Amino acid sequence: MSAFLRLAPVFVFFLVLLGMGFYVQKRSAAARAEDYSKDYFIGGRSLGGFVLAMTLVATYSSVSSFLSGPGVAWQKGFGWVYYASTQVVAAFLVLGVLGKKLAVIGRRTESVTIVDIIRQRYQSNGLAICSAVVIIVFFTTQMLGQFIGGAQIFSAATGLSYEAGLLFFAAVVVLYTTVGGFQAVAITDTACAIVMLIGMVCLGYAILTKGGGMAQIMATINEASKTAVETGTGFDMLSPTADSAGIPSISVQLYLTQWMLCGVCTLGLPQSGVRCLSYKDTKSVHRAMVYGTIVVGAMMVGMHLLGVLSRGVLLEVEGSTDSVMPTLIASYMHPLVAGITIIGPLAATMSTISSLLIAGSSAIVKDIYLHAKETKQEPVNQKTLGHLSLAVTALMGIAAIGLSIKPPDIIVWINLFAFGGLETMFFWMLLLGLFWRKANATGALWGGIGGLAAYCVTMALNIKIGTFHNILIGVGVGFFLFVLGAHVGRQNDEKVHRLFFPEQF
Amino acid sequence: MQKLSYKEKFVQMNKEAKASWIVAAIVIAFWWMAGFGIYHVWGAEWTILGMPAWFVVSCFGSWILCVGLVWFITAKVFQDFELEDELPVVDVSTPDAAGKEETK
Repeated sequence: MSAFLRLAPVFVFFLVLLGMGFYVQKRSAAARAEDYSKDYFIGGRSLGGFVLAMTLVATYSSVSSFLSGPGVAWQKGFGWVYYASTQVVAAFLVLGVLGKKLAVIGRRTESVTIVDIIRQRYQSNGLAICSAVVIIVFFTTQMLGQFIGGAQIFSAATGLSYEAGLLFFAAVVVLYTTVGGFQAVAITDTACAIVMLIGMVCLGYAILTKGGGMAQIMATINEASKTAVETGTGFDMLSPTADSAGIPSISVQLYLTQWMLCGVCTLGLPQSGVRCLSYKDTKSVHRAMVYGTIVVGAMMVGMHLLGVLSRGVLLEVEGSTDSVMPTLIASYMHPLVAGITIIGPLAATMSTISSLLIAGSSAIVKDIYLHAKETKQEPVNQKTLGHLSLAVTALMGIAAIGLSIKPPDIIVWINLFAFGGLETMFFWMLLLGLFWRKANATGALWGGIGGLAAYCVTMALNIKIGTFHNILIGVGVGFFLFVLGAHVGRQNDEKVHRLFFPEQF
Repeated sequence: MQKLSYKEKFVQMNKEAKASWIVAAIVIAFWWMAGFGIYHVWGAEWTILGMPAWFVVSCFGSWILCVGLVWFITAKVFQDFELEDELPVVDVSTPDAAGKEETK
């Protein structure tokens, strides 16, 4: 009975998501017949403020926001929440800085992907192909990471095997993303964001009641910190640097670079950028900036704080800190409520996967295939394009599922660089491309590839400057090479400048 | 809704981007001062709802401050205008196709 109660809400939620996917497919049949890629890959530029905010935040908050993050917070205390709270700027900054320019230029050039914009701005097919390849590689590995995380939660919470859990929930995501396209991704993301918040509230209630109230929980945490400071084992949960044996485990340098990695540089993530091409009007983007900031703050501060407070319920865990949240849900909640709560982390996973999948598919279909067709001036049949888009999305999803059954080490390894790698590749390319007239293809190529290489190599060889995160090296090297390349290389045509910088004429 | 030319839109959008950066800078500055600042002076002794004050003020404070400031700039600095343009659709992705503009 309890297993059934635990699974029932998940099943219902999955059915709703699938329903949304097929409903969108049916409703947008006419729009797709006319311009398939515009409808399938950016939803025909129709998102309103609320959906835009939700899809941005849901894409951004992944399995780690619900699982590993709060798990570490359970161990290190309030410092880790402080660390995670840097993400509060991640929603409004990309919309406020890049949002409208991408929307205006995207409409003027009929761009559907970030690579389309890069192609227009830098007039370089090589750069566009490099960008598409980087997107495909990192998105696939990131998807894999999410599949693995999601399947682990699913099996921990339901008692199904890892493989069964994987096939079941992964099939749902791939199916609704494939048939529904971007619009289905945006709508299901919204549903996901809402259930994430509901899950968080359920979890908060369970922790507060099981922990015997706030005072009791804080007494436990104070006790744990006191013991940690006295004995030199464990972490001082009450200090921002989470000292362990007198040594800060989260240094000031790490905080500085956290503001880059999870704050400012998220501006460069292509999966966020593409959302700037998809909204309806200026009112939508203004609203999304406010809503997005409210939700991303609630989710990041809220979930990580719950991680800390769960110390009042769970003093010890078996295995890694990743198991804190699943243990809490499985052992301390009523089965039905546990079933509802478990949707939260699953939804976080699914909403990230769906967005990566549709954007990855667009890189293959739109940026590589359709562009080749256009160059050869061959006509494109919208129906063939439709079949092809569905096939590529489905195949990409299936490939990722197949790889996650027994994940190859190399992919798990690449995934470690994916988030920062995407940022080092695209941060300057987008920011300088839209705000600095001298930015050109040589600069973008050197800065993007050079920064990415510097980041990946130093990460792989564990070369560090102090305790700074290597994003500093990646973005720093990228900036230097970008500016250097911009001065060495050929400037873009005046028609590019008139399109991107009309205010300077 | 205001009627802006293509050029005027870009003047306005540059202003909006600047406002967004200023908000980010204020939030980051507040976050550092509230977190490390309060901890430096009071340690974890001062508590709010049982939790260390440095944490409550920095995390919840930065969040509320950020929402407030974003609301303020979207109301005062950001302007509504038509994203579509009456100008023709262009494709400037190939450098040699000089002036290849097509009207759709």
